[in-house]
Amino acid sequence: MNTDLWLIRREFWENRAIWLIPAVFGGLLTIAALFGRVDIPTLSPGDHSQEASGIFLVAIGGMFYLVMSLYAGWYLLDCLYTDRKDRSILFWKSLPISDAKTVLSKLLVGMVLIPLVYFVAADVTALITAFILSIRARASIGSALWQPGVWGQIQILWMYVIVTTAVWYLPVAGWLLLVSAWAKRAVILWSILPPLVLYLIERVFFGTRVIGHVLSGRLVGLPAVAYKGWKNGGNVNFDGHAPANVWNFIDAGGFFSNVQTWIGVALGILLIVAAIQLRMRRSEI
Amino acid sequence: MAPLIEARDLTKKYGAHVALDHANLKVEAGRIVGLIGPNGAGKTSALRAILGLTNYEGHLTVLGREPFRDRTELMNECCFIADVAVLPSWLRVDQAIDFVAAVHPRFRRDRASGFLAKTQITGKRRMRELSKGMKTQVHLALTMAIDAKLLVLDEPTLGLDILARRAFYDALVNDYMDETRTILITTHQVEEVENLLTDIVFIDKGRIVLDTSLEDVATRFIAVAVTADRLEAARAEKPFYERHILGKVVLYFENVDSARLSAFGELHTPSVADLFVAKLSGDAA
Repeated sequence: MNTDLWLIRREFWENRAIWLIPAVFGGLLTIAALFGRVDIPTLSPGDHSQEASGIFLVAIGGMFYLVMSLYAGWYLLDCLYTDRKDRSILFWKSLPISDAKTVLSKLLVGMVLIPLVYFVAADVTALITAFILSIRARASIGSALWQPGVWGQIQILWMYVIVTTAVWYLPVAGWLLLVSAWAKRAVILWSILPPLVLYLIERVFFGTRVIGHVLSGRLVGLPAVAYKGWKNGGNVNFDGHAPANVWNFIDAGGFFSNVQTWIGVALGILLIVAAIQLRMRRSEI
Repeated sequence: MAPLIEARDLTKKYGAHVALDHANLKVEAGRIVGLIGPNGAGKTSALRAILGLTNYEGHLTVLGREPFRDRTELMNECCFIADVAVLPSWLRVDQAIDFVAAVHPRFRRDRASGFLAKTQITGKRRMRELSKGMKTQVHLALTMAIDAKLLVLDEPTLGLDILARRAFYDALVNDYMDETRTILITTHQVEEVENLLTDIVFIDKGRIVLDTSLEDVATRFIAVAVTADRLEAARAEKPFYERHILGKVVLYFENVDSARLSAFGELHTPSVADLFVAKLSGDAA
């Protein structure tokens, strides 16, 4: 009897969008690959093929990452609110499951399992579209997309992205869960308004931008902390002749030794504990 | 034996509003207790406190535990139906059974299946597709399959038609209740549960105004229909409530010897509904 496993299964029952959205998105990209206009410069095999394959896979992955970020954010913001709204919280609370387990199961789904689903969907979509494109574009790019070394490195990059995203955005996830456990309505508004008001108060009364910097640093600052290339002005060394190496790009040591990373983790844990405490006290709306 | 539920000075405040005001309550094992009160009297707050859904001031133990601190453990031995509408709309009947079977150590799947086999409900149906009466049957099947010591029902038949209400209570009494169980029930439909209750608790303005067994009601309370000529003499015995109907006056007495009252007219034991009206209006006057 594994309660944790069933709590996670429960999330996939309730939120079929977890796999429906990436499936539909992958389907749309496949349709685009099938019927879209293929206008790709001719490459001689072996020339820039590493680069072409890398750009292709990063582009596919990047699109999935963007959709995933929006959905995972929405999921975390909605997950503790929706069962208070429809009062089904009273059913879940009639079962011997602690509120901490409930909240943590939702955090795990939002920060790890949803990204993993999108990772698989991105890989499958990349395989299918690369296959379609290499048939349609024939010699011009076809063989360039099939670089096993690059494909392998993209898997490593994805895993690194999932881990760093989960760690870096822990305070954001904690904030979204807190709002979800607290708000009586308008969760989106409540998630945005308090930080915005704090930012404006600081701007108007003190004329400074400390809060704005902290917030924007957290929201868009991950690449600068986690990747080497970013610090050199986005100048990643993709040498067409030398094999591109994702390890030159990943900065795991820098990321995990950065004080910002751990301040975020500490704040995230505080917010999650607060969300659990609220979950214990608030039942229906 | 220690009482199953014991509350001393149980107090719950929402800001300035006092929902429970030093309420005292004892529920012994093996009883069916009706918690009856007007809207806003504190019924729901009392149940929320007993079920560990909210924090409170004062002393409260349920099955020897502190409900708010030990809700998870408490729910191994106690279950509740908050209201028929709380099963989430996306949940399928078979998923509900699988989930409860996986997380609840005292759930007996064969009993839930056996109960549902007697209905028209099939496993693949989602809650949103079921009528209110059917949802109640599902919830009741889930709950009755749990070998619990305490069952709490909060307005369980709200919004159900008379057939579904009757079926609900019949199943409760015939298939569920035995000497090892205790049921605490709140409802507006006092007449409907009167025959199955062993104890009644009246709550008003956050305070327990009456806590008695139905056997004691018969010896403690007497209603006398008095004709006008004997009214003044009867009033001397200090009734706590008068009710005027069709030219007669019914006087309600508490702890007055029936031999003294029989001279004034026909004696009878008030119904729970009458007693409720008498007690709450009388004490307020």
